[in-house]
Amino acid sequence: MTQSTQMPNRTNRAIRRYIKLYLLLIRTSIRSRMQYRFNFALGSILAALIQLSEFLMVAIVLAKFGAVQGWSVYEIGYLFAVMTFSKTLYRTFGDEVHHLESYLVEGELDQLLTKPLPVLLSLMPRSFRLMLGEVIQGTAIMIWAFGGMLGSGQITWWAIPQTVFAILTGAVVLFAIGLATATCGFWTTRISMLQNMTEDAAQTAARYPLTLYPNWMGGLLLTAIPVGLVNYLPALYILRGELGIWVFPLLAAAACLALLLALRFWTFGMSKYQSTGS
Amino acid sequence: MISFRTLLYNGNTRLYLALASKAYARNIQYRGSHLLHNFASAVFGYLYACIWIGLGRDHSLGEYGMIGMMQYITFTQASLWVSSFTTNGLGIPQSVRTGQISLDLMRPVHLFAHLAAKEAGQIAYQFLYKSIPVYLIMLLALGLMPAEGGRTLPLALLALTGSAYLSICIGYLIGISALWTTESSWLHWGNQAIMNLLAGFFIPLQWLPLWLQQIAWASPYPFMLYAPTQLYLGKGDPALLLGTLAWCTVLTLVCLLATHVMRRKVEVQGG
Amino acid sequence: MNTTHVGQRTEQAAIEAINLCKSFRTPVVAGGKFAGVRSLFSREYKVKEAVQDIGFTVKSGEFVGYIGPNGAGKSTTIKMLTGILHPSSGSVRLAGVDPHTDRRRCASKIGVVFGQRSQLWWDLPVKDSYDILAHMYGVSDKDKNRRLDEFAGLLDLNEFWDTPVRKLSLGQRMRADIAAAMLHDPELLFLDEPTIGLDVNAKRNIRGFLKVLNEQFGKTILLTTHDMDDIEQLCRRVMVIGGGRLTFDGTTEELRRKIGLPTQIKVTYRDGYRLPEERLLSIHVVELGEHTLTVGVNRQKTRTMDILRELGHWGEIDDVEMHEPDFEEIIRQVYM
Repeated sequence: MTQSTQMPNRTNRAIRRYIKLYLLLIRTSIRSRMQYRFNFALGSILAALIQLSEFLMVAIVLAKFGAVQGWSVYEIGYLFAVMTFSKTLYRTFGDEVHHLESYLVEGELDQLLTKPLPVLLSLMPRSFRLMLGEVIQGTAIMIWAFGGMLGSGQITWWAIPQTVFAILTGAVVLFAIGLATATCGFWTTRISMLQNMTEDAAQTAARYPLTLYPNWMGGLLLTAIPVGLVNYLPALYILRGELGIWVFPLLAAAACLALLLALRFWTFGMSKYQSTGS
Repeated sequence: MISFRTLLYNGNTRLYLALASKAYARNIQYRGSHLLHNFASAVFGYLYACIWIGLGRDHSLGEYGMIGMMQYITFTQASLWVSSFTTNGLGIPQSVRTGQISLDLMRPVHLFAHLAAKEAGQIAYQFLYKSIPVYLIMLLALGLMPAEGGRTLPLALLALTGSAYLSICIGYLIGISALWTTESSWLHWGNQAIMNLLAGFFIPLQWLPLWLQQIAWASPYPFMLYAPTQLYLGKGDPALLLGTLAWCTVLTLVCLLATHVMRRKVEVQGG
Repeated sequence: MNTTHVGQRTEQAAIEAINLCKSFRTPVVAGGKFAGVRSLFSREYKVKEAVQDIGFTVKSGEFVGYIGPNGAGKSTTIKMLTGILHPSSGSVRLAGVDPHTDRRRCASKIGVVFGQRSQLWWDLPVKDSYDILAHMYGVSDKDKNRRLDEFAGLLDLNEFWDTPVRKLSLGQRMRADIAAAMLHDPELLFLDEPTIGLDVNAKRNIRGFLKVLNEQFGKTILLTTHDMDDIEQLCRRVMVIGGGRLTFDGTTEELRRKIGLPTQIKVTYRDGYRLPEERLLSIHVVELGEHTLTVGVNRQKTRTMDILRELGHWGEIDDVEMHEPDFEEIIRQVYM
């Protein structure tokens, strides 16, 4: 066997092993959560209620004022549900990235540096979060929004695969934002304040069409903190036929770029950590 | 039983003051980074204000008007640090996990009074170092002057004091639930979410659908943000304070009762 | 556990540290008002030399204790040896591989245990953690099961096999963690305070296992500890770090000898004793009792028989007890 065929083989094996590891983690996490059924059910129901009350805040505004910047109640529901799904995907797999602060404060990151994997790949499987409440809420709102828009003929069934695509690229974008924010922790240790702005506030903002905001803020939410790529931009095409089919390659490219930049930054932060240990 | 414990509760003012000032002092050393945190909180408030400004461009904002809604959001965002962002379960879930709770229950001080005093110090700190800065930053960012020239502030702050006490009571009840479930932190988050909705954090209560308004007014939540804000905006009847007072009394009794139930539960478990 | 390759490995050092240095820059914290805010923008730094010019070689199969007071640079050294931190200068080789340029390759050759942290999954049963780790290190099911069978016997893992890690006692957790570190059969094991906070039984259990790993499986082990019993019962070699420098490197006996602490002799006289005006300089009186006398003597300087003869002149001896210097005491002397 030559060197060139050996390398991909080894990488393939490593990837397959890693996927198996993750599947195992998912299986065992579910099993261990199910041992405490009452707690699991309670947590999920409360999570769904929290999500629902957040949606109610948006829905009530719509009920009071009809439409927001010409966006109907179904369209806004769609924005909300897509964001919920993307965020759920990101936090299901990347919850530990979001919680990097506790690793930095308690020195737990050292442990991960003794593992034969890139640190990020040892960090992510430290937990697998089951977010049933968010899934229930997202599904309910999505079905309602889709029902309304399919019924009025605004969209066709084609919107479903397109939406799935947007949710996936959106999750990658949110992950990239989360990773870049967490990386700042290598310099500041505390990151919750930054997360408040780049994750919580930004995601809240993207529940409404970005035209609602001052131009500078809308621009910011499409570039520096590109949460607008998660739901707003795809919705412009999928629901309203604006822009063009090129939105999808654009989303894929933007998600890849965001992820690449975030990973670069992470590697830089990691090397800073290893040389200063702070 | 309850009356006996209330006696203890009243008896030891010096201790409660000491507990409160210790909780206050513990925070003061971090005030530098907390002041920076306020920036994030103000960004959130600014975002909510932007939503109303955006809506106000196409719609009239009823009896508040655009400026009124900006004032509204400024006050509720600043008040969150008093009535919503309290310690998760007043720290009870933590002490249930470590087993500290049975020791806490054995102390000669009533658990509720003890924890309430501590949390009061925490809230006093948050009011000075979070609420006030967030309020000022938002006034500046939105180009506002204090509503009604600031004349309504004393009454609004009085109502806010009541809402601080209500939030202590609710935090305590959430904390006690930790004896029955490991998921009490969900109740904490749930409480904050309901607060956003039923306390009128983002949307004034009179704009809620009728059924939701009825639910809201059957709960203490309107007195935690909505009532102080109405008084601040000069729209509220000072009689609202009576509602605050009534809920403070009711929740105090519930807390004392809950302590009684919890004590039995801990004793049965053997600590 | 494959031990047939031991012969080939002896050529190569298991751990080689060459002129290791590590300095940290910490921002100067200003006092006064708004200190927290101002320190964010401050560009003043204080440089702290945590580790200075440390060099040593550990041969395959050795059991080395690495001790020193808190803040002396122990953890920093361990972190540099295991590839967690990069040295400011100097280099490390683990079985010939540099953990800083080749961290992942090194990671699969070493096992690391931090006494105060767990590498297990907090909410999952112990056995599930092992399954996940096995995948992480590419250990086959067959190897995993065989090793776990061995460890289970030695460490009594079965009693908490299905328990979530968060519910384990500290001693159980440490046993589970050491087994986890050995799951991929590394040649080299680093332990950072593995007995911290454990009770006597748990300590004994863990020491027994480490002894087996070293003696029967030929693993090279380096451990840091504050418990001198760990050193005395396990390590043949001790390295002492103080103020970032290696102040001693040798066997435990050499360490004892180097300090030359007095042996204490407690003599009971039948009818009391009388202290002479002039006595040997190497004998100093520690405690005077009515019938008993405790003296300290330096046995490097005076032969024991000479001392006993001298003590016999002071009265009629009924009984003699000799106490070797306490190991704790030795270490305190080295640190001072």
